[in-house]
Amino acid sequence: MTSATVLLKDELDIVIPTIRNLDFLEMWRPFFQPYHLIIVQDGDPSKTIKVPDGFDYELYNRNDINKILGPKASCISFKDSACRCFGYMVSKKKYIFTIDDDCFVASDPSGEKINALAQHIQNLLCPSTPYFFNTLYEPYREGADFVRGYPFSLREGVPTAVSHGLWLNIPDYDAPTQLVKPLERNTRYVDAIMTIPKGTLFPMCGMNLAFDRDLIGPAMYFGLMGDGQPIGRYDDMWAGWCCKVICDHLGLGIKTGLPYIYHSKASNPFVNLRKEYKGIFWQEDIIPFFQNVVLSKDATTVQKCYVELAKKVKDNLSKLDPYFDKLAEAMVTWIEAWDELNPSAKSKANGKA
Amino acid sequence: MAASSSVKPVPLLKDELDIVIPTIRNLDFLEMWRPFFEQYHLIIVQDGDPSKTIKVPEGFDYELYNRNDINRILGPKASCISFKDSACRCFGYMVSKKKYIYTIDDDCFVAKDPTGKDINALEQHIKNLLSPSTPHFFNTLYDPYRDGADFVRGYPFSLREGVPTAVSHGLWLNIPDYDAPTQLVKPHERNTRYVDAVLTIPKGTLFPMCGMNLAFDRELIGPAMYFGLMGDGQPIGRYDDMWAGWCIKVICDHLGLGVKTGLPYIWHSKASNPFVNLKKEYKGIFWQEDIIPFFQSATLPKECTSVQKCYIELSKQVKEKLGPIDPYFVKLADAMVTWIEAWDELNTPSDANSAKKANGALPAAAK
Repeated sequence: MTSATVLLKDELDIVIPTIRNLDFLEMWRPFFQPYHLIIVQDGDPSKTIKVPDGFDYELYNRNDINKILGPKASCISFKDSACRCFGYMVSKKKYIFTIDDDCFVASDPSGEKINALAQHIQNLLCPSTPYFFNTLYEPYREGADFVRGYPFSLREGVPTAVSHGLWLNIPDYDAPTQLVKPLERNTRYVDAIMTIPKGTLFPMCGMNLAFDRDLIGPAMYFGLMGDGQPIGRYDDMWAGWCCKVICDHLGLGIKTGLPYIYHSKASNPFVNLRKEYKGIFWQEDIIPFFQNVVLSKDATTVQKCYVELAKKVKDNLSKLDPYFDKLAEAMVTWIEAWDELNPSAKSKANGKA
Repeated sequence: MAASSSVKPVPLLKDELDIVIPTIRNLDFLEMWRPFFEQYHLIIVQDGDPSKTIKVPEGFDYELYNRNDINRILGPKASCISFKDSACRCFGYMVSKKKYIYTIDDDCFVAKDPTGKDINALEQHIKNLLSPSTPHFFNTLYDPYRDGADFVRGYPFSLREGVPTAVSHGLWLNIPDYDAPTQLVKPHERNTRYVDAVLTIPKGTLFPMCGMNLAFDRELIGPAMYFGLMGDGQPIGRYDDMWAGWCIKVICDHLGLGVKTGLPYIWHSKASNPFVNLKKEYKGIFWQEDIIPFFQSATLPKECTSVQKCYIELSKQVKEKLGPIDPYFVKLADAMVTWIEAWDELNTPSDANSAKKANGALPAAAK
């Protein structure tokens, strides 16, 4: 495949969490090879992860994480793909694309292979429109525009912080749905990108996700999951709720829709149910918390927003379970670690409150 | 009468839905819709010169109202119905006796989906209306009640029942619904993108509602579907459906009802004249900069438990907050009240008080 203009080649890192191998990268080679990879190796650090030849990468296992963060390493999950957020923290690039190792190249309805990374970049490089819904979806796309009745003063849009892609084949269902509908496959290609409106939360999936590190990076903490933790499979959800509240506060946009990847592996629903079990109940309180949280006007940077959010998590959710106390502290530890590893970005105002 | 297609579609809600069509010319376009429409009752609202005869293709069951009929039926209250503007269509909503309305413009034809199959737009609208909406949390796989889809991981289970759907807003292939400036700048743009999705517009978010291909539940939201004062003697045009859309969204959000957008597509054949459009929209372009923040921050008190109560309250706020912009809004606010009075007169229930019945529960954890 001939390479088209390689957008943001030196400005974007691809972060991949893995415990097994990276064979899936072979299929992505035409699209990924020009970019730098950050592999975060979860699980047993003595195992060697084989990276296909020709990729430029850095790899971190648990020992590396402990060495680099010291005591602060406690905020990075162990034995859970949530550890990927360590990759966000150590990256030196403006943009991140993260993908799971069971996600492959999908084909669009015409049969053409989808360059998911290129689409994410397009999404991030053009504005979002969170204040008013455009019925023809993304107005900046070729062949589309704002419709009649869309206020003109809102047509400049706001900067896009997050691009949330979707999945054909195995859909991202929770355990109960997987148990009830084990055969369902997502075969519907929806040719749209849209901004999630201000004030509306969504379930953010980390399988096929891109974001602007400068705009929102510090809020992309994937929480405490896996070993020693009472829940799993809520890492990306947690980050998504935090990000959305902060983006709404700072006037940044989040898009969802294209691109699609092909999700090949259905995780075990019984294992998933164990991981999600407490979350199923807790999310009934977590969601209203995030829906009602208001950040102060002084929270003018992502870090300030996030630390304030951590306080509110401790105040409002620890009565649910001591886990949230721990999580709130880990959120603060994460910001401290982020600022240590990313000193120059520390006090810059990222957007208007 | 024989349908022109060989397979007759199952007529969902055949006796519960009216199709409202405003027209000034003719209804030839109905020929193409015959397989999908002919089993439904039509309400034709004839705009313009009442002495002209509108020819309706044979075989359709319809009632037709021209300006004389509107004046006769409403008396002085007819002043709230626009003249020489397709906004007059809302008279059709008012006189209908059915639970559901589908409204379509006479330059909208049957579109094809990507497989080449003719799209039964009415059937899709009915599906949309008969399944719940999900305004409180965005589902990334769009309408979770569609075949082959569901709620995704992370979607709270207590929100999976959804809320009743009040409005189904369809889209258009070919000539897109652009405003005059955009039409002037991009006269050749055609919408060729078929987006295979239906989605709920989230609570707290406004949208531009287009009346070209629209369906709604009269019982849930009918009284709020007033299409305003447009056309002859009015300072603006092409804001009728927009106005109704902002009002109904505020009221739906307040009452816990849902508004969907997306499928179905129709084929919009006629591009209106952008110079004429600019004249009509001119004041609206400026006014909407104030109107939008008004609707975005409008709140309705808890006592507004019916659509009519919500609408009257909204009209008060329109008069108070938008009246200072232009006397038009004072007139419009009065017309909104007249509309509700007329609606209630024409829709006096056979059983007591169902017009004043609370249409929806106020959400428990209001955002």
